Amino acid sequence: MAKKKQEGRSRRDFIRWTGSGALALGAASGPFFLFPERAAAQQKTLKILQWSHFVPAYDTWFDGTFCKQWGQKNNTNVIIDHINLVDLSAKAASEASAQKGHDLFMLLSPPAAYEKQTIDMTHVYQEVEKKHGKKIDLGHKSTYNPKTKRYFAFSDSYVPDPGNWHKDWWADAGFPNGPDTWEDLRIGAKKIRDKSGHPCGLGLSQELDTSMAMRALLWSFGGAEQDEAGNVALNSKETIEALKYMKALYQESETPEVFTWTPPSNNQAMLAGRVSFVANAISITRQAEREHLPIESKIMVSRALRGPVRRIAAEHVMDCYIIWDFAENKEGAQQFLIDYIDAFHDGFVAGQFYNFPCFPSTVPDLKKEIASDPRATPPDKYKVLGDVLDWATNVGYPGYGSAAIDEAFKAWVIPTMFAKVARGDETPENAAKAAEEEYKRIFARWK
Amino acid sequence: MAVVETRSLTKVFKEGELGAVNSVNLETREGEFLVFLGPSGSGKTTLLRMIAGLETPTSGEILIGGRVVNELSPRDRRIAMVFQSYALYPHLSVYKNIAFPLKAQKVKKDLHKQKVEWAASLLGIGALLDRKPRELSGGERQRVALARAIVREPAVFLLDEPLSNLDAKLRASAREELERFHRRVGTTTIYVTHDQVEAMAMGDRVLVLNKGVVHQLGTPTEVYDNPADTFVATFLGSPPMNLAELSDVIVGFRPEHFRPVSSVNGEAVAFRFKVENIEYLGSEWIVSGTPASGKLGGQKVFSRLNSAQDLSLGGTYDFAVPQRELKFFDRSTEKRVEPKVVSWQ
Amino acid sequence: MAIGRAKIKSVGAAQSPLLGAAMFTPAVLYILLLVAGPFFLAIFYAFSDARIGNTEMHYVGLENFRSILKSPSFRIAIRNSFIFTICSQIVVIVGANILAIALEKTFRGRGFIRFLILLPWVAPIALGAIGWKWILDSIYSVISWVLVALHFYKPFNAPMWLGEPHLAIASVLLVHSWRLMPFSTVILLAGRTAIPKDIPEAAAVDGAGFWRTQFQIIIPMMRPILSVAVLFGLIFTFTDMTVVYILTAGGPFDSTQTLPSLAFAMGIQGSDLAAGAAISLFLVPLLIIIAYFMLRVAHRAEVN
Repeated sequence: MAKKKQEGRSRRDFIRWTGSGALALGAASGPFFLFPERAAAQQKTLKILQWSHFVPAYDTWFDGTFCKQWGQKNNTNVIIDHINLVDLSAKAASEASAQKGHDLFMLLSPPAAYEKQTIDMTHVYQEVEKKHGKKIDLGHKSTYNPKTKRYFAFSDSYVPDPGNWHKDWWADAGFPNGPDTWEDLRIGAKKIRDKSGHPCGLGLSQELDTSMAMRALLWSFGGAEQDEAGNVALNSKETIEALKYMKALYQESETPEVFTWTPPSNNQAMLAGRVSFVANAISITRQAEREHLPIESKIMVSRALRGPVRRIAAEHVMDCYIIWDFAENKEGAQQFLIDYIDAFHDGFVAGQFYNFPCFPSTVPDLKKEIASDPRATPPDKYKVLGDVLDWATNVGYPGYGSAAIDEAFKAWVIPTMFAKVARGDETPENAAKAAEEEYKRIFARWK
Repeated sequence: MAVVETRSLTKVFKEGELGAVNSVNLETREGEFLVFLGPSGSGKTTLLRMIAGLETPTSGEILIGGRVVNELSPRDRRIAMVFQSYALYPHLSVYKNIAFPLKAQKVKKDLHKQKVEWAASLLGIGALLDRKPRELSGGERQRVALARAIVREPAVFLLDEPLSNLDAKLRASAREELERFHRRVGTTTIYVTHDQVEAMAMGDRVLVLNKGVVHQLGTPTEVYDNPADTFVATFLGSPPMNLAELSDVIVGFRPEHFRPVSSVNGEAVAFRFKVENIEYLGSEWIVSGTPASGKLGGQKVFSRLNSAQDLSLGGTYDFAVPQRELKFFDRSTEKRVEPKVVSWQ
Repeated sequence: MAIGRAKIKSVGAAQSPLLGAAMFTPAVLYILLLVAGPFFLAIFYAFSDARIGNTEMHYVGLENFRSILKSPSFRIAIRNSFIFTICSQIVVIVGANILAIALEKTFRGRGFIRFLILLPWVAPIALGAIGWKWILDSIYSVISWVLVALHFYKPFNAPMWLGEPHLAIASVLLVHSWRLMPFSTVILLAGRTAIPKDIPEAAAVDGAGFWRTQFQIIIPMMRPILSVAVLFGLIFTFTDMTVVYILTAGGPFDSTQTLPSLAFAMGIQGSDLAAGAAISLFLVPLLIIIAYFMLRVAHRAEVN
């Protein structure tokens, strides 16, 4: 038995409102929001909260098929709430403060800050690994705290963050196979911009897609937020080179629109036939297919771009399930996750290859499956994602996705650094230095 | 050249309705104190406001100093106005209230102090200059309003019932003060009131208005002794003129001319008069009752006497009106007509 | 008779305190639970190492304040909070006065125009802000579309209202002003209607033109009610985060960040409750000053 319940807007706004004003900051954190529940006799309840998937078909499968069947099998009333991805962290914060909420809470970035309020997922990982083999390193790095040797979350999947490029314009610019390196991107984007006016669409805003694209750029040039041991290592000559590159790219080929974007903006810009290149998950092409947009056949997908040092990109989003230590149905939640991985292949198909498995054995023929997709024009559009594991990594690379990394991520330090330099408001050297200081300040707060 | 002149001045507020002011022709005389008198709704204030420029005439012309001013805004008409509420600026001191017209008319700054002090001393409010209006009494406020009006030496003063907010006692002294003030400055003044006592006491001439129509314009004596029609006859005087319908005319006589036969000399009309009520007002007595017979039989008639001690309630006495004090009005037009011989029986 | 009256009196006396208490209990509860409680909690957090994921916390003195003062975003947020609050009040007062003057006169359709002007105030602030977000959007902006259609700009090069720091600041300001304008207009309209007609007429006769009448007579006379409008406006704008959060989320690169939006970004989204609380406490001094003036205005109104 599954019930889909849409979160009302008003309460979220209320949390936001009260959570911000000085007079009410505590309201979001005090125990004011209680969720009364009424379970049927003997029947257990499992409450799940996760985002509204960018590919709606996934939610249909998850709510309507998987959870329904799982609930019947386990005599459990499964309640699933979907909310907009930008509201996830505020929602998690209010649940943690209220010590009350959902049993299973899915976040889209490593939620290390909540470690003290979540149960250790080692057991779940062990159970799953018994059946499906080892998890990928990306999943490990995103959910493991090496200091406490605990898994604070469980990752079932991640989403690749490839490039999206407009076939005709890039072919015109001399790149029939699209850009393969950051250098290609700069040259080709400029040609397109000069010739037809279409700008490049690499975001420079305080949002998820920008954050991922800028990290990919940073790493490709050899820079990083921290070293493997978790020390701040942002201010480097590699970082400065990446900043210089972004400044040139922005000034040659972009418009200030990139400063205004929210996560869906680059999707819209690409589908509206406005921009020549964006870095995003495959939600753009999937939407074009779903809505039969004529531009569908024009938008191609590329691997992460290769920089002077390496070819690398962040996961676009990282599914991270946590189970609150105040959850009422911890056993059910753990069992749910274990069973969910058994059905992962169905989810992979229902989600139209949006989520890639953290346990590769659950989709053994991944390369073959994505290489011929009847929805896509051409059907082998997604073939380039076959070697995604060679170039996808976690936020915090080469270290772990720690709480400090998460706060710095949410404080948008990296996008701000790139945006200031791109606009010419700050020199690359000063911006790198300022960002390093901000990182150190934030890291000091999580010592 | 008249200071203020109106030609067929008409104001209609709502189309199709009767005008608030109907075709008023008027000429003021240099330096006179002209009173607009009428009951409420008579159009006297509307007439004044049109002269001030606060109301746009529907038709007709207004001339000030011989110039048509219909299109001029109030500030270009060289007028000063005192409002019923005085309309002092509550946030400004008395000094600044008085100086405001000077500032607004862009009078040279160095003249302000001298002029304000002149106006203030003229009205005896030199000591109040630093006060705010709310700290003043009603009489003081009136004087400030007058000072504000006089300070720029206008061609004409327009006063809109300036005494009506004062209590009765203050009103008499304020009236006197106003008269003295007018004599000193000698500026042509138009004064609106519904109070006939004020009108009679102050006016050089009185314009009696009703329902937007001018009934009479004349000196206080003229309008009182020789009313142009029955409206003027009954509006002025307290108690009003006694009116009696006799065949084709209306005959009127003032209560003070209706007296016991013994005190009437010469040709007179006599009645048997039954006294029904006696009011003692100190300096005079008001006696009312009904003539016992004849055409006035049963109709209420007032008499004003210096003494009524000889009369008693319910008694019947011989009363008379001197023939020369009878006023005759046409029955249909209600306008004054020549004396006639009428039968009283 | 006397007995009966005494009885009635005693019943009334016993009832009214209870009734009074019942009447104001909801207000007291509201203030305690949703204002005072969170306020003291915020003070408590600001001196602790509270993190969203942690249930325990420790006293850390002024550490949080020291830390946020180092953050460049915080300095921008302070500056913006003042810019938005003060500038929008100036725009609102000027605009509301103009509107109030226009609406004072009777004309056909005045009721409808008044209704339209009041709409932004009646609509939830989030809805209005979302509407503006689309109007100023980078791809779908109607304003840009019109400018391009009129050939003021080439396609792709229309101004990015929310993308250039100065334009974004102006846009946030504009939306704040748009939002507060109806409130001030209604208040000022009431203030104007309360002024006796004689006063502007006297000014006209005294020789004052339109501007002199407005600036030397009408507006000074409305000072008490004007200060009410301004003080309310200051509070609404200073504490608001919805407009910034929806329009720009503090961007481009923190250039429109305000104290409330930064407190939310750091405290809630960034999990650093203590820092968020410390930032939000910076709102308090100004709010206390405003509250002081509001109480003074209210007191004066009572006395008069």
